[in-house]
Amino acid sequence: MFFPFYARRLPDSHFLAVSRSGDYVFLGEEDLHKLTTAPQELELDRLAELQSKFFLGSPTRQGSLRLLASKLLAKRETILNGPSLHLIVLTLQCAHTCRYCQVSRSLGSLGHSMEPATLAAACEMIFESPSKSITVEFQGGDTLLRFDLIKFAIEKITERNLQEKRHLRFVVSSTLHQLDERMCDFFKQHNVYLSTSIDGPARLHNKNRPTPTRDSYERTINGINMARDLISPDVVSALMTTTRDSLLIPEEIVDEYVHLGFREIFLRPLSVYGFARRNFEHLGYSLSEFSLFYERAFEHILQINREGGDFREVMASVFLNKILSPFDGGFVDLQSPTGAGLAALAYNYDGFVYPSDEARMLAEMGDTSFRLGAIGETLDALLNSEVQQNLIRASTSPRIPGCDQCAYNSYCGPDPISAKNQAGDIFAAVHLTDHCRRNMWLFDFLFMKLHQQEKWFLDLAFQWANPTPEREFCCA
Amino acid sequence: MRKLPVKTHGIPLRGVQRVISLALLANEWESGLQFMVLVDSIGDAGILEQLVDGGLKNIVVCVPYHLDWHSHIMPTVACDTRALELHDVVVLNLEKQELLVVYRNSDMHHAIQLTNRCNSFCLMCSQPPTTHDDQWLIDEALLVAAHINDSPSAIGLSGGEPLLLGPRLREVIDAYATRLPSTRIEILTNGRLLADEVLATHLLTGISDKVSWLVPLYGHADFLHDFVVQSVGAFEQTIGGLLTLQSYGQAIQLRIVLIEPTLRVLPELCRFIGRNLPFVREVALMGCEPIGFALANRDACKTDLADWHAELIEAANALRRANVPYIFMNTPLCALPQSLWAHAHQSISDWKRSFREECSICVVKTNCSGLFSWHNHNWTPTVIKAIDGKACNEEVH
Repeated sequence: MFFPFYARRLPDSHFLAVSRSGDYVFLGEEDLHKLTTAPQELELDRLAELQSKFFLGSPTRQGSLRLLASKLLAKRETILNGPSLHLIVLTLQCAHTCRYCQVSRSLGSLGHSMEPATLAAACEMIFESPSKSITVEFQGGDTLLRFDLIKFAIEKITERNLQEKRHLRFVVSSTLHQLDERMCDFFKQHNVYLSTSIDGPARLHNKNRPTPTRDSYERTINGINMARDLISPDVVSALMTTTRDSLLIPEEIVDEYVHLGFREIFLRPLSVYGFARRNFEHLGYSLSEFSLFYERAFEHILQINREGGDFREVMASVFLNKILSPFDGGFVDLQSPTGAGLAALAYNYDGFVYPSDEARMLAEMGDTSFRLGAIGETLDALLNSEVQQNLIRASTSPRIPGCDQCAYNSYCGPDPISAKNQAGDIFAAVHLTDHCRRNMWLFDFLFMKLHQQEKWFLDLAFQWANPTPEREFCCA
Repeated sequence: MRKLPVKTHGIPLRGVQRVISLALLANEWESGLQFMVLVDSIGDAGILEQLVDGGLKNIVVCVPYHLDWHSHIMPTVACDTRALELHDVVVLNLEKQELLVVYRNSDMHHAIQLTNRCNSFCLMCSQPPTTHDDQWLIDEALLVAAHINDSPSAIGLSGGEPLLLGPRLREVIDAYATRLPSTRIEILTNGRLLADEVLATHLLTGISDKVSWLVPLYGHADFLHDFVVQSVGAFEQTIGGLLTLQSYGQAIQLRIVLIEPTLRVLPELCRFIGRNLPFVREVALMGCEPIGFALANRDACKTDLADWHAELIEAANALRRANVPYIFMNTPLCALPQSLWAHAHQSISDWKRSFREECSICVVKTNCSGLFSWHNHNWTPTVIKAIDGKACNEEVH
């Protein structure tokens, strides 16, 4: 008998079929037909392959069924083991006035930083998660403006962890403009990673991220160099945001990252939250414009690797991890039900806990509907809140129209928070969301690449697909 | 196993002994053990007789044939004593007048056979199973453990199928783990009976962390694997057994013997392993031993690995991409593409290994597994040829 699977005709007109286990196969129309009607007529090698990929099976095959169950469980690890990513939004203060920024407030603005007592409560709350490994990421605003709060929190969490013995990791997201030797000493001592933003070459970066002195790029570079000198060469990672101005210079942006000594780039599309939504006309672009940009950058990165370089694209790596690896890389955005809340929590300066970075940005725009509760409540209460339960309901893909029949549903999941932002409703039709359209495009793109079966590309794809726990996927 | 013809006098029963010299006797004698004392002169034999006469027990004397002597007060074995080493553990088979060396410290590989019975009938089985009750082998294995006098880096417990011992397998494992605390214990099993939760719980709960499991897998679908092991349902049971071992955090080496039916599906099988069994410690890709059932199933088992280089490379790629370590065993270097040489192990036990005349001028002989000494019958893993320095360099460039 055949097990449930989903087929999809790729833009290059080949059929791709994906089984419940997430194993995939490229099929001709004839084999696809035989699979569903008369599998015994399939050629033996094909039959063996389809059986080994859980397209065919039988309830009497006890070993294979156990295997399927253990594979499905491994895929759910990120959302079953308790929140592992804990974002603490310390302050909204920032010296920049970025065109796409979601939330930040000027330096003089009062009341946009976390109270020490609230921060202390957040530090305790983190340990309510049963997760064995915990990443604490400090977000802003520009976090280094409140180094006092970072230091307070890291010391407090480190001390508690002497008993807890979790695998602990700290990340500070910052422009690095204020970084000094004293901070570097502290970060080195506590094994803290730094995450910053580089949008591309200086002229693009400075245009996207204006400061009164117009030297945002230069000051971030100085911060990167100082951190590499004083902490360690691998301590800094960088994120870019793609704006309309980026679209024409994909190769230049990639080269900038290579030149700066980074080993990866995350070609992130603009998230239309906060000020970006108001500035969409100037900053925004369509999916097809973005995909042209991405494909050019991607080809350029492949060329760098073919020439012996070691440089990866993070978004492709996340998707390839889903497709090729039996180990889930832990990316919060591609889970079903959503990782928002189940795998990640954001402790906001306003004293409330949100299920994700995006959710706290919506709160900044006046939509506080994603508040799970106040900092200081129990984790249990937050995860059992109606808000969280609705997030789960809206993102369990086998039950979501549009997802239920999608070939990619074992790799992917709806993002109710962006659906709310885009369409005003977490239950908005999934297939119309930007999240879905973009993911469908990227899965199609990568599967067409995989189908070409080029040895060097497969080598690279598997290398990128291996989970790298030290990588950071969040925003800066 | 090394076998030695012997002539025995006054030995009533098959038994296990530790080979020892007169000089070592005072230090090593223990009441629970049996000793076979090597002497090469009538004078030394006389000293030993005095000790036995004075009450020393558990002694067999072993003399070279040329002495043409046997004792009247202690059991005597005459054989070619040059073939024995101190601290060998030996078993005397009286009916066949044979001495079996079941353990020798200077060997690189050690294996203890726990049973001749098996629940599979693999096409290429090197030791075709028997059906009769051989529980006495279990007792003998326990005695062998007691008689080993050093701690080798690893020892294999094999069969037949060791899981057929049921709960008694744990008794054997514990005996070896206690006696040889720093030795890795490798259990060669098809894993099928570990799908049984009751037996698995008994065997695996609190088991020594020195144990690892060497489990064969010959296909990625039931009908492929079941054909090779000639047993319906074996694939499902082995997969279940592997998952059980994983749930107990056990170290696993998967083994694939390279015969026609496995080589044909090798790349897809290795992809299956990468996707579904990435928790195994390594995969061993093994040349077939031309002995046992392999001789009867020559069509399926006799292959020239040179015809399968593309499959071997693709399989290695699949394992490398999935981060699953792999090694080649029982494969002479001239049978493998050079890109895989770094993964080839010198795996053939010392007493089984041989080289051909062609090998004498081969520049990579010192790194080569060689052949099984029973590689004859016009049967080798490939056409054996010497690798010369020039060919070696050419392939690299």
